Formats: sequence, structure tokens, C-alpha cells
Amino acid sequence: MNTRVDSTLAALADPVRRRTVELLGERPRSAGELAGELGLAPPAMSRHLRALKEGGLVEDGHPDFDARVRIYNLKDGATAELRQWLAETEAMWTHQLAAFKTHVERSV
Amino acid sequence: MSGAAVIVALRVGVSPDVAFAAFANDIGQWWKSHPLFRLSRKGDGVLRFDPQGPEGRLVTRFDDGDEWEIGLVRHWVPGERLAFGWRLPSFKAGQATEVDVRFEAVGGETRVTVEHRGWDNIPQEHAARHGFELMLFQRRLGEFWRMSLKGMSERL
Repeated sequence: MNTRVDSTLAALADPVRRRTVELLGERPRSAGELAGELGLAPPAMSRHLRALKEGGLVEDGHPDFDARVRIYNLKDGATAELRQWLAETEAMWTHQLAAFKTHVERSV
Repeated sequence: MSGAAVIVALRVGVSPDVAFAAFANDIGQWWKSHPLFRLSRKGDGVLRFDPQGPEGRLVTRFDDGDEWEIGLVRHWVPGERLAFGWRLPSFKAGQATEVDVRFEAVGGETRVTVEHRGWDNIPQEHAARHGFELMLFQRRLGEFWRMSLKGMSERL
């Protein structure tokens, strides 16, 4: 496991952030829209979105028609399922390569 | 979504030729089933490349004698590269991912890099059918960490 997976897990450790990822998995949304749906004050929503960005789960951008509006997406269009698959596959190979290392170095 | 891949690398204290041979020939010995990342409902079984070589396939044999073909060998270059398809029983027919393992000399050792690609081939409803399952995801990964750390501390 590397630090990327670690920070992803940290980002997902909060139920509000998990719900945010679910909502963004449906479609991109603005921070205001997310705050409204989750019943959060804008500053609290910003904090959660920042943590999700740091965890590599979401990214933001501006729609062409309005530079003042910030729209949040799951990063790379990644769905939660893709994230899950990537993290689990990474964990699996980390485990298996460690087992391989033990094996191959024992027989030296 | 193209290019989604997992890359895991690690260094082993043997030559690339020895590492390749052990990876390919001994996979049934070194592959350790992990309760959190099982290949199928029956567990992982015993893996093997059958036959050994570029015309082979990666197969696993379960305790009940059933076999499952995980994938065909795509590249078999001793000491350098081993690539194969990766399809689990939970995948739908025709869906597969690809695993590419590289062996590179680093000093007297070998860096082994596993690249696992191809989420693209798995339609979203396959995994989405089960819902988000984040709690499960977290619990499993949390447990994975605990086991890994425990294993590490036992070796120290």
C-alpha cells in the first residue's frame, strides 16, 4: 500500500465525504449544490471537498459559461467502483508481491 | 477512463532470471490467499502456468478439483517480462483485465513491477450492482493494514 491509497482512505473516513463521493458518482455538482443536499454550511462543505481533493478522489473545474462557478467531479471520471477496484487490486498485488519476495529470497 | 491501472513494484534480492523463474514456476507456492482479496468464492486455489511458456495460460485449481482459467499468457520472456490475461469468476463472459510483470536488474537485485490494467473492460453495472459498499471497503482495507503491520512486526 502506498501513500496514495492511504490518503484516499483518510478522505473516505468521514461519512459526509463518502456521501459526497456517492453524489458525485451520479453526476458533477457545484459546492453549493452539494452543501444543499447534505445540509451543510458552505465552509464545512469546502473543508470536506478539500480533503477529497487531497485524497485524489475529486477534482474541480469551471464550466465554459461561467468562470465563477466551480464544478466538482470524481477525478478522471472515476466512479467509486473503479476507485474500489483500483485500491483492492493494489492491495492484493502488494500482498502477493510481498509473499513472492519472501519465497524467492528464502530459496537463495 | 482508458489507462486505469494499478502499479505495484518491489525489489527482490535475486537476479532477474531467478526472479522470473520463481514467479512463473513457483506461483503455486508463493501465492498466498488473502481472506480480503479472494479470487473467487472458493478462495484462490493453487495457481500455475500451464504449460510453462509463451503458449501457456494461468490456471487455478480449487480444493474441490474444479479449475478456472484466469488468463492466457501474452508475453513470456524469461528474465524480463511475463504478461497474462486476468479474468475472475465474478467477471462476465468476454470481460478481462491484463497483468504485465516486468523484471529489471537493479544492482545485484531485481525490481519486480506488476501493472494491472483494464478496468475499462468491466462494465460499471458489474461492480455497481452491489452498491457502493464503502463501509465494507474500509473495513476490508483497514483489516488488510492491520494484518500487514502485524506481519511486519512479527518479522522484526
